[in-house]
Amino acid sequence: MAVETDLDQMILSIAQIMIDELKLEDVTAETFDPDIDLVDEVGIDSMDLATIALVLRDKYAVRIDEDDYPKLTTLRPISDYIHRKLSAS
Amino acid sequence: MCCTADVSYDDRMGSAERKAIELQVINKACQGVTVESSNSEPALEMGSDTGREWKFSELIADPGVRDRWEKVRRYFFLRESTYDMTHRCNIRCDGCYYYEGDKQHAEEVGDPEAWRALMQAEKARGITYVVLAGAEPSLVPELLHVCHAEMPLGAIATNGLRKIPAGVGYKIHISVWGNDQSSLRVRNAKNMLARQIENYSGDPRAVFVYTFTPQNIGEVEQVTQLLEQHGCRITFNIFSAPVGYTGELRHTPLSLRQTRRAMLTLLERYPDTVLFSPYSAVAHTHHLGLHDLYGCSYPRRNPSTDIGLGRSFRQYRTDLHWDRAAACCVPDTDCADCRHYAAGSAVVTARLFRHATDPDTFNAWLDYVDTYLAVWVTGYAKGPNLCKVPVPPPGFDLF
Repeated sequence: MAVETDLDQMILSIAQIMIDELKLEDVTAETFDPDIDLVDEVGIDSMDLATIALVLRDKYAVRIDEDDYPKLTTLRPISDYIHRKLSAS
Repeated sequence: MCCTADVSYDDRMGSAERKAIELQVINKACQGVTVESSNSEPALEMGSDTGREWKFSELIADPGVRDRWEKVRRYFFLRESTYDMTHRCNIRCDGCYYYEGDKQHAEEVGDPEAWRALMQAEKARGITYVVLAGAEPSLVPELLHVCHAEMPLGAIATNGLRKIPAGVGYKIHISVWGNDQSSLRVRNAKNMLARQIENYSGDPRAVFVYTFTPQNIGEVEQVTQLLEQHGCRITFNIFSAPVGYTGELRHTPLSLRQTRRAMLTLLERYPDTVLFSPYSAVAHTHHLGLHDLYGCSYPRRNPSTDIGLGRSFRQYRTDLHWDRAAACCVPDTDCADCRHYAAGSAVVTARLFRHATDPDTFNAWLDYVDTYLAVWVTGYAKGPNLCKVPVPPPGFDLF
């Protein structure tokens, strides 16, 4: 499986997953602000985040612990989290 | 020893067949359960296939499972809070949560416009679902109308003795604590079930919520039959002791096992009347409470305010104020004993990730969520259970 090692590319890929899973409109992976607050400004909640976590687990074989959800409320720390775990493995 | 069995398998059997056989053996073993055997722990675990890691895409590959997943995820937008409506009630029950703690002494705000303003403010902060509870909401119908006008999704917890006007389109949860003899003893109300049925027979809003206590397990089939005859639906709750409660209604390991068996039996015998699933039975009758099994995410036990219930949930008292330290679906419950159906609806449902491990466990979670939505959301129809056998909570034994 080809997995991005470049953080910027990973942000784009995860943005696309969010757009697909959350059925977001009027935004593309390229225009998705990685620092937008997903809870306050996009309106996602813990169930949406759990769904994203499952899709990310499929793609990257990285487990996002439930206890870490509160820290992952923008795209950038989610990407950092995945990238860090992949780099450590 | 209760519920302990040697089971031999045919190598050609699938996991579902094996589990069905195990369940039969467990049920048979439990039939002879006695008080003396209540300290015995079962040796048999009915764990799911954990031999390999399953991808989420594999778990939802089956069209029936995918449809159910898509069906339930449409309701992920629900954000709940709960509200005590009045400090009055027309009966007084042993073990009532409302009359424990300080909340019963809060001032009662009966002004409909104050409630309208509260509902509008709640909507503005993202709440999409309201649970109207203590002490007896049917006594303040004008407030129910206001809440429904502002917030269309919700449920009302009532004793069912006074009919809630048809225009209030919330689900109505009617509390049942056994047959009429038990109700007279525990709730000091005569002909309770007959009056509840008279008020709500055939009402699509109504779900009768049977709260199991150690004393009324043997009455549940009689009640279920009666409800079925009158076109009513039933779901199950477990008495969970209020803080400091030392009365006879507190469950024991034995009564929890007996309750589970009763739930599974009724689920099989009355599939059109009982809104429940095998996994619901497991989650609510485990010897560990919901917090120990799943980690309660209500503010009372969860300091995080970043996301989920810890961020959005509030439990308002009749004075329209709330206290984070007391905020959960049934305040003043002893958390270690909490097996409330209302708590599980949020706490088990929230643990999607940890249930996405194998097909049985994931399907059991889907059944749980499907049940919860059918009980709590107007117009949501429950589908057949996908997982027909009990599976253990992730990381725990079956009992």
